[in-house]
Amino acid sequence: MAASMRLLLRRVIRLSHRYNNVTAAGVSARSGCCWAPSTCRCFSDVAGDRSTHFGFETVPETEKAKRVYKVFENVAQKYDTMNDVMSLGIHRLWKDMLLHAMHPQPGARLLDVAGGTGDISFRFLEYARSQQERQKRRTARSMQTPSSQDISNNYFTEDEDTPQESRAVVCDINKEMLNVGRKRADSMGISAGLSWVVGNAEELPFDDDQFDIYTIAFGIRNVTHIDQALQEALRVLKPGGRFMCLEFSKVTNPVLARIYDAYSFQMIPVLGEVIAGDWKSYQYLVESIRKFPDQEEFKYMIEDAGFYCVKYNNLTGGVVALHSGFKL
Amino acid sequence: MNMAALLRGLRAGRALRGLASVVAAPAATKPQCSSLSRGFHRATLRLQDDSKSDKPPSSSSTTYHEHYQAHSAEQDTAAAAQEDSTSDPAADQASRPNTSYQDQGGEQGEEYETEEQLQARILTAALEFVPQHGWSMEAIAIGAETLGLSSASTGMFYNGAGDLVLHFLAQCNSQLTDILAEQHNQVQLGQAERKKTADFLRDAVETRLRMLIPYIESWPQAMSILLLPHNIPDSLKHLSTLVDDIWYYAGDRSTDMNWYTKRAALTGIYNTTELVMLQDSSPDFQDTWNFLDNRIQDVVNMATTAKQMQSTGETVVQGFMGAAITLKNLTGLNQRR
Repeated sequence: MAASMRLLLRRVIRLSHRYNNVTAAGVSARSGCCWAPSTCRCFSDVAGDRSTHFGFETVPETEKAKRVYKVFENVAQKYDTMNDVMSLGIHRLWKDMLLHAMHPQPGARLLDVAGGTGDISFRFLEYARSQQERQKRRTARSMQTPSSQDISNNYFTEDEDTPQESRAVVCDINKEMLNVGRKRADSMGISAGLSWVVGNAEELPFDDDQFDIYTIAFGIRNVTHIDQALQEALRVLKPGGRFMCLEFSKVTNPVLARIYDAYSFQMIPVLGEVIAGDWKSYQYLVESIRKFPDQEEFKYMIEDAGFYCVKYNNLTGGVVALHSGFKL
Repeated sequence: MNMAALLRGLRAGRALRGLASVVAAPAATKPQCSSLSRGFHRATLRLQDDSKSDKPPSSSSTTYHEHYQAHSAEQDTAAAAQEDSTSDPAADQASRPNTSYQDQGGEQGEEYETEEQLQARILTAALEFVPQHGWSMEAIAIGAETLGLSSASTGMFYNGAGDLVLHFLAQCNSQLTDILAEQHNQVQLGQAERKKTADFLRDAVETRLRMLIPYIESWPQAMSILLLPHNIPDSLKHLSTLVDDIWYYAGDRSTDMNWYTKRAALTGIYNTTELVMLQDSSPDFQDTWNFLDNRIQDVVNMATTAKQMQSTGETVVQGFMGAAITLKNLTGLNQRR
């Protein structure tokens, strides 16, 4: 027992040393690295062999999607537990704030891309249900002393008054994540108005002008071509539809940034190894956060794709940014 | 990938078409007229933005001069402006200072307008549903749906119902300004008699309050929204520009303390009359107009009383001085030895 513990500890320390050297170099050259892959991609475009970043590695573009798939296939079972542990439960607050900013109207259709285990969709349906109940209570209260006019009106408008159902579609490239999500939905008893679709964010299997709200929470940094994903979002949204993206971003406060970096690179892969038995996936997670463009740059990307009224809010001091744009 | 290229090509084509129309327009048959009308159209667009946005004009009297001139001139070139009135990429490119999408050339489907104008259109459409749904996000959502936009576009309105109420205020105020400018125009042209100040104020306040009549049921809700702390600055701004407008068109050009007292008096009259109107159930709000008459009469009386008191005071002081000098003469103190 003691021997196996010592072995595990030694393995952890060895891995941490190895990855520390890599990440130290990566962190110091972060700003350089950010621009390097885009320029690399420009030149390699000419050469006909495009590569992109996979964490701090450089991989061919065609391979990135496969490797991302494998990462999430490995982490699917423990995904929710790890989220709670790594963010100390704060990820629930972030997702609640996303819903609060969304304040969906009754009858809205949501497309939750990279929705995986369905957190956003569950919250959306919960919100819609409580809104409906509040509406019913309000009409019941106002109907407590109906006049004869009201009663006669009720007879005529019974058929027209069916409230529109809010519907959510969870789309993810990874079947494992969707399976985990479906099991969660069954155990929570949410089934009405929820569908699960396998699809790639760069090529959504939906028609144009289908959805009122498109959300992508902590998924867009895993997409190989972010601008393509943004254009697909523009395509499937109805006119007036809203694009909302929750994603890790650059921390503005320097003190907080150092603590955050230390926590990300020292703690998270270790937690990943101890709890989920997968160091590399969580290393990828932390590195991919660093490779993602910062708030302003991502805002310009969203505007370039054709969205209007693009705004962003920093949550938890910039650890997470909530971007929102409209298709007008 | 091809979808992206197609979209980019379409956008480039539309931008080129926009540029071509700008280049071709000056070579039109009536170059001066069309550019003039486009200029005024641009001015009215910008002024419409100013009056519809929640920021007041910095100096009210000069803005109303501009507005008045643009308004009267636009009537002259109304015929020429007809063809340019619907969509004008050049004017809209000039009047989009705060968007950073210059390369898109002002094209996005059929939206040849700024985001503010679209928001204004949504709010105007939403006003229709206020009697039924109150001043709320639901009304805005239904308004957006009538324009063909998804209900998610209500997310643009971060102030929610406050945006709707403030938009309504701005709209009513600009309508009132139009009416007052029109009347002023008629007086200038000699087609109408100039009204006395008291009558002018009474008519202006009545016209403005009559615009509330369709929404009178839900107006208490609107007033409570306006009293929320984050809305108070905007609602006060609208009130002050309203009162300033009315006094300007009433002919007030005072530059002393009168400027403040007159506006304070009219603010008091307007607010109290509005409150009376909320609980008035007489036919056609006759009680409210009587109340308004009485209040204006009060203010006029107070003004004349103040003047009388001042002249009386002067006379009394003179009388005292005279009596004192007479006394001094009588007692012989005034003689010089």
